[in-house]
Amino acid sequence: MRRGQTELHTLAGAYALDAVSDADRARFEQHLAQCEACVQEIRGLREATARLGAAAAVRPRAGLKEQALRAAAQTRQLPPVTPRTPQVRRGLAASPAVTAASRLWQRPSLPRLATALAAVSLAVAVTMGALAMGAQRHLGRDQAQAHRIAAVLTAPDTIMLTARVTTGGTATVLESRLRHSLVFTAAGLRRLPAAKRYELWLMGPGGTRPAGMLPQSRAGMVGPMIVSGVAAGDRVGLTVEPTGGSGRPTAAPVVMLGPGS
Amino acid sequence: MTDSQGLPRRGRAAEPGQDIDLAVLLASVARGDQRAFEEVYDRIAGPVLGMVRGVVRDLAQSEEVMQEVLLELWRTASRFEAGRGSALSWVMTMAHRRAVDRVRSEQRAAEREMRAASAQVDYDDVTEAVEATLDRERVRHCLRSLTDLQRESVTLAYYGSYTYSEVAGLLGVALGTVKTRMRDGLIRLRDCLGVER
Repeated sequence: MRRGQTELHTLAGAYALDAVSDADRARFEQHLAQCEACVQEIRGLREATARLGAAAAVRPRAGLKEQALRAAAQTRQLPPVTPRTPQVRRGLAASPAVTAASRLWQRPSLPRLATALAAVSLAVAVTMGALAMGAQRHLGRDQAQAHRIAAVLTAPDTIMLTARVTTGGTATVLESRLRHSLVFTAAGLRRLPAAKRYELWLMGPGGTRPAGMLPQSRAGMVGPMIVSGVAAGDRVGLTVEPTGGSGRPTAAPVVMLGPGS
Repeated sequence: MTDSQGLPRRGRAAEPGQDIDLAVLLASVARGDQRAFEEVYDRIAGPVLGMVRGVVRDLAQSEEVMQEVLLELWRTASRFEAGRGSALSWVMTMAHRRAVDRVRSEQRAAEREMRAASAQVDYDDVTEAVEATLDRERVRHCLRSLTDLQRESVTLAYYGSYTYSEVAGLLGVALGTVKTRMRDGLIRLRDCLGVER
């Protein structure tokens, strides 16, 4: 008699431990392709085996690191996997096509998340780089921010929007309704005179609320800025304001982003 | 938060935020950032080497495998997807698979018999500077919460690089029993460690 699905499912532990033959592995991976619950289970079990392994950490002898760095410098890297679906929807939510598309946004595909991560990670890396260079007193705060950013990036409902900024540059928003949060980044924004700064706003049925002043750009990137308290129907707007910020926008937004309601 | 044993609950990485750092670093590595790679090395080489040595045993071979894993990390960093689990898990999964492949392909059956007796890794044996003492305590504690059969099945498989049917043979129990114990044992370990799913 053929072994049934239930029996196949009990292979999850052995599979996560690499305690399967090649034939079993192939069989189980076939099963995984059709079983989202199994994928989730394997993920959890592998977090456990990873901790089991990492707990045996030892310090490698000196010299190995230099070898590894030398080898890396001489090794070509693989490009990212090419996305299967359009990753980024350009333009404003007001456009009917995008609004229609927004109704279809349910779970983001994994490649889209990967792209989202890539879009934001440069800015994150810059932040973390500064952190590594000795901004120790900000450590706790920056880590907390990294946590919140990751929570948005890994949320099951994260969507991504980009739009051109009318005065130059591109703005990107990753939003999770579930987390009531969004991550804002921008690249190539026009430099402002010393007395001016970019300010971010949430604009929606609940009114217009200030969402923070953009930090100075580093390496041409701004952000990532995490914005919480995002309500249904909110859109994100960016305006140019006096350095100290304004209670309400004093100029027309240079970009508006949002999935609409 | 505490569990029933009164030990602090831990996040999915050894330190909160560390795994996110690692994921962010991997994204930089994917773009060819050698400094980020250096930092990834500093964080991950110890855990990888420790685990691989538990599996492969021979130090020189273990170092070789570790270097292969790090180079593979450099090569394939762009394939890491943050939504699919932690960065640590991604790295350790890759490393464990390689270690097991090394043992299975390069060591003959006779040698594997010899290792059977010492297949259970002795954490006390690993005395070199330990990076994650607290996490080690936690793992040790959680391993103790498994039944003997669960613990033996898990450690023989993970550190002994035996297949579940070999483990069944070694422990003298039915195939189905071993499969179930491995799964139940890992589930209990996962819940005890408080890893996110």
